[in-house]
Amino acid sequence: MEKAALDLYSLRKSFMDGEVLICFNGPFSHSIIEEIGIAVKRYLATETASRSAVSDVFAVFVELAQNMQSYTHRLSGVRDEAGLDAGTLAIGRHGEKYAVSAGNMVDRSDVGGLSSRLEALRSMDKPGLKALYKERLRAPRPAEGGAGLGLIDVARRATQPLSWDFREIDDRYRFFSLSVII
Amino acid sequence: MKGGPIVNDLVIAGSVSSPAVRLDAKRGSMELSGESYPQNAFDFFAPIMDWAHQFLRERPDPLLLELRLSYLNTSSTKCVIDLLDLLENAYRIGRSVRVTWYCDKENDRAREAAEEFREDVTFPFEIRLTGHVS
Repeated sequence: MEKAALDLYSLRKSFMDGEVLICFNGPFSHSIIEEIGIAVKRYLATETASRSAVSDVFAVFVELAQNMQSYTHRLSGVRDEAGLDAGTLAIGRHGEKYAVSAGNMVDRSDVGGLSSRLEALRSMDKPGLKALYKERLRAPRPAEGGAGLGLIDVARRATQPLSWDFREIDDRYRFFSLSVII
Repeated sequence: MKGGPIVNDLVIAGSVSSPAVRLDAKRGSMELSGESYPQNAFDFFAPIMDWAHQFLRERPDPLLLELRLSYLNTSSTKCVIDLLDLLENAYRIGRSVRVTWYCDKENDRAREAAEEFREDVTFPFEIRLTGHVS
């Protein structure tokens, strides 16, 4: 064989070493989100997870996946470049807890706003997050989706501070990844 | 506007990500059951909001909202808040409105969410704990 095919075994091994239960990479659609959601609940129900924990993992998954879907859709709608429409999402174990991680390309110009929002959420305690959530629930609807509320909900359900990274890809894009421990 | 001058029943079948809806004009009841994280929550809830507006405008009868929603994403939560605000305004001008929110007794998170909705209203809002609802 000329070019080695994808090494599925090492891909699988890195998932298993990282205790990843479910992973998806590619363009998100609503039906894919529904299907992964069903799988998430089925998986976690067979583990010993409490219904509250299943709810939290599922909710964080839905908010992150819907945020990614709307952002990547907008970005790839503006520029037709490879990889902009793809999101990467993984749900796995993290010791006794669960981790939901999501990553996608972002325009460099969006980094500042996003990171200051995340910093603000990280500095708030649970009552502060609840107050902010309730305030935003009654704010006028933003033109593009409801991304503001989604991240607050995610921060409220997290049991550890949110962690994220912007990896430099080129002069235009960064790869944004966010990890939520539940 | 479709629906004509007289408020009609509205039934929407449920899907994986959108609740089953049964709005009954004669009974004066609105029932939503299932999970709610549709592709576009505002589009999904628009006819439900319109129905509630029309019912309150045309009928003098009490209105009951029965919710069996095991999960709402944040966009759906915003839509339900809008619906509760509408009921709250009707209640404040003397209408009879109430909510019964059913939730899984083993899911603390679902109960906490229902309690958070209740914090913002003054009309009768009952939380009923049941067996697993989804």
